Amino acid sequence: MTLGEFLSDRLGRIFMVAACAGGAALFLLATGTQPGIIVILLLVFLPVLCMVQMCDFFRCRAHLKELAHVMEGLDRKYLFFECVSGSRSLYERRLFDLCRQAGQSMTAAVSEAQAAKREYREYVEGWVHEIKAPITAAGLICRNTDSEIRRRLSGELSQIEAHVERALFYARAESPEKDFLIRQAELEEIVSRAVEQHRTLLIQSGVRVETSGLEETVFTDGKWAAFILGQLLQNAARYRREEPVITLSAMRNGREVQLTVRDNGMGIPSYELPRVFERGFTGSNGRARGGSTGMGLYLCRKLADCLGIGLQIASAEGRETAVTLIFPAKGNLTES
Amino acid sequence: MSRTGTGLTMQKVMIVEDDGAIRDELALLLENEGYCPLVVTDFTDIEGQVRKEAPDLILLDICLPGQDGFALCAGLRRGVGVSVIFVTSRDSGQDEVRALSLGGDDYITKPYSVPVLLARIRAVLRRSSGQEKPEEKETAGLRLNLARGTVSAEGGTVVLSRNELQILSCLMDQAGRIVSRADLIEELWDKRIYIDDNTLSVNMTRLRGKLAEIGRPDCIQTRRGMGYQL
Repeated sequence: MTLGEFLSDRLGRIFMVAACAGGAALFLLATGTQPGIIVILLLVFLPVLCMVQMCDFFRCRAHLKELAHVMEGLDRKYLFFECVSGSRSLYERRLFDLCRQAGQSMTAAVSEAQAAKREYREYVEGWVHEIKAPITAAGLICRNTDSEIRRRLSGELSQIEAHVERALFYARAESPEKDFLIRQAELEEIVSRAVEQHRTLLIQSGVRVETSGLEETVFTDGKWAAFILGQLLQNAARYRREEPVITLSAMRNGREVQLTVRDNGMGIPSYELPRVFERGFTGSNGRARGGSTGMGLYLCRKLADCLGIGLQIASAEGRETAVTLIFPAKGNLTES
Repeated sequence: MSRTGTGLTMQKVMIVEDDGAIRDELALLLENEGYCPLVVTDFTDIEGQVRKEAPDLILLDICLPGQDGFALCAGLRRGVGVSVIFVTSRDSGQDEVRALSLGGDDYITKPYSVPVLLARIRAVLRRSSGQEKPEEKETAGLRLNLARGTVSAEGGTVVLSRNELQILSCLMDQAGRIVSRADLIEELWDKRIYIDDNTLSVNMTRLRGKLAEIGRPDCIQTRRGMGYQL
């Protein structure tokens, strides 16, 4: 708060006081007081008025600073009015009481929403858990049918599986609880887990997967990392061209490990690249091909952020797309 | 408890699973694969049933009516030395750590693909029985050395690449039968060789060339529209 703001806020009051002083001076003049005495009275009165206003200004400013300091120290800002203690001014006390009531109703609403979110997440996790049994059973049953039908059915089943998995990880990513587990993991295991999960799609798309330099150890949650990788493999298989090849190669860069997933598919136009990680963004390829939800890469970014994995994408339209996962060094993870 | 399948030398795999459809299909699958499946339908005294039947391996679901799979595994580990593969649809990292720290030999999440499940079962059984992978295979006058990556016939010995080795190994496992290209690709993917149709053709041509060098030019026959046959 500046002095100017303060004065303009009080302009009405100052004007009233000045008008009163003027009125009194005129009254004194009319009733025969000598002008010299009136001037002396005014000369005494004006500095007192100024001093009172200045005092008020400094007190107000100090008080506001104190409140701002309390706010700054708060983790959840909406609890502010619970934390500011008794004020000397009656008006402020009443005002704070009102705000406190508003805050309490908000706190209740927030914790209700959090509980609802947690319950919903638990429901989704439970549901995913339930749905996996019939998917497993269906997979085993279609084993007994002839090979053409088996292939088609297992293609559909693996799509269902991918959707279910995305729902599970969406629930996990949107929920603030951290339930991943950072451990030492072999990159090769993560890659083969991801390839394994999407083998039906990859084989049926006629993809060749080449790997190189995967003998690295990273510190991450293997399941989450495999999920991220799985989304990239699915994208590569979906937006393929003739003779699709996906190359998975790793490289140690200082204490970080970089894993690059490169495909020779349709690529992404450069003006769309900055937006591909946005929720619900389906680029021109996605729209042209259909069936794109704009969730895959969005989830990748969310999960990667949780795990501290860096995510970079580069593409040449009509030629290739390369997504790089940068696994952090062990030491950088301890603080998070 | 019901027992399906007979045979004295077959390895016994006990299925502890509360989903009826999965249980039955799994039993059928294991039977077709030459195991003796033991199906648990009464979940009250699983430990007793394990002691009585002495299976080589238990496929153990974690979510069971009554006792959960973790508690069960801990009990089993104290009592009898049996291999345990956890099969579950819960896939949190904590569960996996817990499963393995309780002495489970492996941990598979549903929905699993059948080849992966079978490969894991084979691996655990091989480890527990101390059997080593056969280093050599011999069929149709060919001798395949998996450790050294060579194949020999009367005309000599040639060195094979990793892909060629696994292709020949697959065909030798099913000697006499027609193996379709699609099945062959699936089997190679099981062995972490992620190839496509064209690469398979290229590898097949090279493999045939090498077999010709050792005097067996046409031992792999192409059955048009069906696949290959050794």
